[in-house]
Amino acid sequence: MIAVIGLVIGVVGGLLLQPTVPLELQPYLPIAVVAALDALFGGLRAMLDGIFDDRVFLISFLSNVVVAALIVFLGDQLGVGTQLSTAVVVVLGIRIFSNAASIRRHLFKA
Amino acid sequence: MTPRHGSGEVQRSPDASMTLINEFYRRPLDPGYADAAARRAAGSEPRRTRRSTVGLVALAIGLGLGATAATLALRQPTTSVQEARELLESQIAQRSEEADATQADITAMTEQIATLQEDLLGDEGRPVSDQIDEVAVEAAVMPVTGRGLRLVLTDAPSDDPDVVDPMSRVQDVDLQIVVNGLWAAGAEAIAVNGQRLSAMTAIRSAGDAVLVDLVPLASPYTVEVVGDATHMQTELARAAAGQHLATLRTTFGIGVQLSSQSKLELPGTGLVTMYSARVPVTSADPVPEPGPAEGALDEGDVAGSAGPTGRDGT
Repeated sequence: MIAVIGLVIGVVGGLLLQPTVPLELQPYLPIAVVAALDALFGGLRAMLDGIFDDRVFLISFLSNVVVAALIVFLGDQLGVGTQLSTAVVVVLGIRIFSNAASIRRHLFKA
Repeated sequence: MTPRHGSGEVQRSPDASMTLINEFYRRPLDPGYADAAARRAAGSEPRRTRRSTVGLVALAIGLGLGATAATLALRQPTTSVQEARELLESQIAQRSEEADATQADITAMTEQIATLQEDLLGDEGRPVSDQIDEVAVEAAVMPVTGRGLRLVLTDAPSDDPDVVDPMSRVQDVDLQIVVNGLWAAGAEAIAVNGQRLSAMTAIRSAGDAVLVDLVPLASPYTVEVVGDATHMQTELARAAAGQHLATLRTTFGIGVQLSSQSKLELPGTGLVTMYSARVPVTSADPVPEPGPAEGALDEGDVAGSAGPTGRDGT
């Protein structure tokens, strides 16, 4: 639960402080946000499954974001940045979808 | 499982080539959660220390901040465009300041030249220096103060600020007609938005901007005229310029405000440009004309002759 509280504090702080993202990081933001969403949905599902774990949640969150950004960076260096971004979005999108479906089953029993 | 007893090869699941996709569909949840839960159930999970808790909270706050910052940054897709625009704006401001500073230098130097001229001419050169002053006003070099008219032209108000009908804006032609009308009505000196008009000043347009003496101006355009206010007003009303102003007001909705002013201060251009010069013949001329005066005088001459074309400005 500590992780969720910390995350909420971070989000509120971010909304209040309005920090600016360095220009060099701008290209990786969309993918990083999608990766963060994936981690969020995974955490939510784990919570509903009753197996939520702070450590796993935060570390999967961090590694998701870092790996996603890294893949885009690598893709950019190799000249296949857009294709790799698409791949990452597809994979993460599938995961978000199936996690969301499982959350739906939990909540609505349908 | 041994091939010897089986069908001759390893039993492959029919969807073996789609393991990646299956992996995602069947186990979308990070297996880490299940592992952690299993460890907890088994009681093998080490007790969490205070330090690792603090670390987790810090990590959570950092991730939340980062995610929010990223989302906020993405919601402003024009960041780079904005920065480029700000850079250009600052450059414009900087260059304008430089231009202003240079202009101030020019004005100061012109004053210095004038002082030096007076010193050089002394008392015996009084007629010459009077003539220089007179011509300098005409040539728009010197600042002028006096009674006169103030005419303010404003773009017609627009319903949609994005779509501007060029007909509803004050155009270079309008200013040209008005300024020419004012010269014809006996104006002694004219300035538009602080830009003093000399006979060599062009009024033209570049895109949407009206350029006076190559300086872009924007609505409202304040035309300040030094001269006999009453006389100019009547003359203007009688001339074509007056009719043009009336048309602008009634047909296009352009704001036209004419008022007489008791004191107007028009700046000088401070710019003396040598267009032609000649060496004075000392034997024929009892009073030798000094060089600088020659420049100013000839400026007047040239300006006088080039007047109509300069004022037409096209």
